[in-house]
Amino acid sequence: MDTRIAIIGTGMTHFGELWGVSPRQLASDAVSQAVVDAGLTKKDIQGIFVANMLSGMLGLQGHLGALFAEELGIQVPAYTVEGACASGGLALHTAMMSIASGKYDTVLVLGVEKMTDHSPEEVSSALMGAGSNEERLAGATFPGLYALLAKSHMQKFGTTERHLASVAVKNHFHASLNPKAQFQKSIPIETILKSPLVADPLKLLDCSPVTDGAAAVILQRKKTSTSSHCVEICASQIATDTLGLANRSSLLELRATRYAAHAAYIEAGITPKEIDIVELHDCFTIAEILAIEDCGFTEKGEAGKMIEKGMFTLGSAKRTVVNSSGGLKACGHPVGATGVKQIVELADQLRGRCGKRQVKHAHIGMAHNVGGSGATAVVHIVKSV
Amino acid sequence: MKQKKNAKIHAGIVGYGTYIPQYRIRTVDIARVWKKKEEDIISGLGIQEKAVSAVDEDAVTISVEAAHAACQDAGIQPKVIEALLIGSESHPYAVNPTATIVGEMLGIGHQYFAADLEFACKAGTAGIVMIAGLIQSGQISFGCAIGADTAQSKPHDALEYTSASAGVAFLLGNTSLIAELLHSTSYSSDTPDFWRRDGIRYPSHAGRFTGEPAYFTHVMGAAVRLFEETNTKPSDFDYCVFHMPNGKFPREVGKRLGFTSEQLALSLTVDAIGNPYSASSPLGLAATLDKAKPNQKIFMVSYGSGAGSDAFMWKTTGNITKFQQKRKKMKRFVEDAVREKTYIDYVTYLKQTHKI
Amino acid sequence: MISPVKIWRNQKDITKMLGKIGTVIAWTIIRVPPTGFMKQAPYPLALITFDDRTRIMVQIVDCDGSNLEIGTKVRLVVRKTIETTEDGIIPYGIKAKPINKLLS
Repeated sequence: MDTRIAIIGTGMTHFGELWGVSPRQLASDAVSQAVVDAGLTKKDIQGIFVANMLSGMLGLQGHLGALFAEELGIQVPAYTVEGACASGGLALHTAMMSIASGKYDTVLVLGVEKMTDHSPEEVSSALMGAGSNEERLAGATFPGLYALLAKSHMQKFGTTERHLASVAVKNHFHASLNPKAQFQKSIPIETILKSPLVADPLKLLDCSPVTDGAAAVILQRKKTSTSSHCVEICASQIATDTLGLANRSSLLELRATRYAAHAAYIEAGITPKEIDIVELHDCFTIAEILAIEDCGFTEKGEAGKMIEKGMFTLGSAKRTVVNSSGGLKACGHPVGATGVKQIVELADQLRGRCGKRQVKHAHIGMAHNVGGSGATAVVHIVKSV
Repeated sequence: MKQKKNAKIHAGIVGYGTYIPQYRIRTVDIARVWKKKEEDIISGLGIQEKAVSAVDEDAVTISVEAAHAACQDAGIQPKVIEALLIGSESHPYAVNPTATIVGEMLGIGHQYFAADLEFACKAGTAGIVMIAGLIQSGQISFGCAIGADTAQSKPHDALEYTSASAGVAFLLGNTSLIAELLHSTSYSSDTPDFWRRDGIRYPSHAGRFTGEPAYFTHVMGAAVRLFEETNTKPSDFDYCVFHMPNGKFPREVGKRLGFTSEQLALSLTVDAIGNPYSASSPLGLAATLDKAKPNQKIFMVSYGSGAGSDAFMWKTTGNITKFQQKRKKMKRFVEDAVREKTYIDYVTYLKQTHKI
Repeated sequence: MISPVKIWRNQKDITKMLGKIGTVIAWTIIRVPPTGFMKQAPYPLALITFDDRTRIMVQIVDCDGSNLEIGTKVRLVVRKTIETTEDGIIPYGIKAKPINKLLS
């Protein structure tokens, strides 16, 4: 990429059940933080790229570009990018293209989701908007679709329910060090294993929660004259696969992840070994196992064992730290905001601002954001320069 | 197809398909809930257990199962069906024909006549009479008559022990018959023994009035008419089939008409699966046809409350053996479906019949 | 009430699927159902493959999952699918029923 794009400001709300907070307030909170962090005012923003999935389906509110532009008091170009749970990563990619095209210099990427206004059944059904019609007619849910992937992985590679639970243990531990995470306490593995089944073998605590939240980043074209230490996005890749699981070529991987990650490594000119921290899309524990393998951090089939042994955890040396924020599982998963939050975490880590969960010497970070059961995968690589 | 004037067209069964839902509830398990003595119920009704539809089954899905099996086993493409009549007491809609929903799913196409029928438990056999008429008059070559029900009954009512679910589809034509319809006749009256008002969920009945003045009068009435019109007597038949509201009535009416228990035995599906209303005597006929040899005569009388009976004289042909072999190979005999079962308890029964 | 037009369109695929025999390649049990499937839950959800290598995702019926495994043979049947209002058009769709163990 010829144009160099820097992340100059980040912000995010608490993630959780924010009953009294409206989508407008969520956005306002996250954007204010980002604007202050960037040392700018709102008037410096030239475009807004909104990431959201459910506002139209559940809240009957579309046209979010105009809504948030109004809320922020700036009449700039603004529109929504949607790709289910990958909306955040896709909005970031779109924002980058807008800068690279020369059209804008400074833009805002805002991921927002309000999920707790509706019953769990309504939310579950709305989320299936990310799947295929056939899957909806079959009574599938997202836990169900990922359960099919989990069972296939367990059948082929001997991955166990304990391996799955280990992902949750790690991410809850990380979240306990993240003041903005939905869950603030570590959870023992036995508690996870004893939680009620949602879709065999996935239990309640194998699944990411229903969350409200917003995250914002401000991107700016980097002028070559600027010498200051900053965080740059050096790769942004998207891959798509079939909408429904039935037509995938394999149930043992998310091929879109593999393609997007591979393309990102080439674009950034690096290998997985050089990644210090990675935010992977752990909508379910099995999803993190698949992501670690599909991004090339381990051989296929090995991730479960390695997580159980403590690798990829904060404080364990020599390996990439996975989901220092707590991931979707423990930091929370406000669908449209997640992809943006991942970038917020990476940028904050690279700038040494993560306090108790700081990954030492973090220099290169990666974000992996998935839509549906793997129909879209977006990978970004950021580095401090 | 143009027929010579006065040339008699022989109508009959080309093939048939049957479907019984997998679930069973034992009558003793129902009796226990209402603190009735189990022996009383069984001796009174003669039914051990009844077939219960799954929560996602209805007269449409059951009809499709039966008709699909019939077409497969008869080697018939659904597109050749020119008329489809479905009789039921549990049509899913008061207005919107079960017949065309089923016809569309089977792939009959659009070049056919369709209608839904109601006449309590004889809605299925009414369809047979009407399709046979269309064939005999030369208007169609192939037709399908289905009797299918997911019968409802009020909890704690006597009907709770007998109301069941099943479906039978008869493919009727004028060639390659496996059983020829030699004659049919009917007996009808206005007799309010059992009824359900529009919009009301459960049927009501008039207790013992459903016996002599209703079931027996009409079954015997149609049976006697059939004997007279065909100049036959019970010993001229190999088998008999009667509508089976419980285990007692068909046995009693058979005896009164002069049939032996051996002639009746093959048809008594009621003992194992209860009374699936519009599919009752059709299922009894199917169970008999599963085992009958070529050139055997079957005497059949249905009964529908309100009230009426349709009586039929069937004669199997040499083609029946091949058809039976196909059904046997596919494990589609009535006795196979009777054996393929999963027991459920009363609460599950209430769930599956949409009472909770 | 679900759109009758959508229901009508979705049901057009039924004829060609009815009666097909397939094999289970992956399955789970949905214990927390989405809206419209409450009365049916818990139920198995499976990926089925056919001789022509095509695949579909369906609910498995008349089966509590205890006898289900990869390789189980199933037959496609028609059943009611999404639970709807009392006054709406009833959606029907394709589900899969394990084949009688006595057969094959």
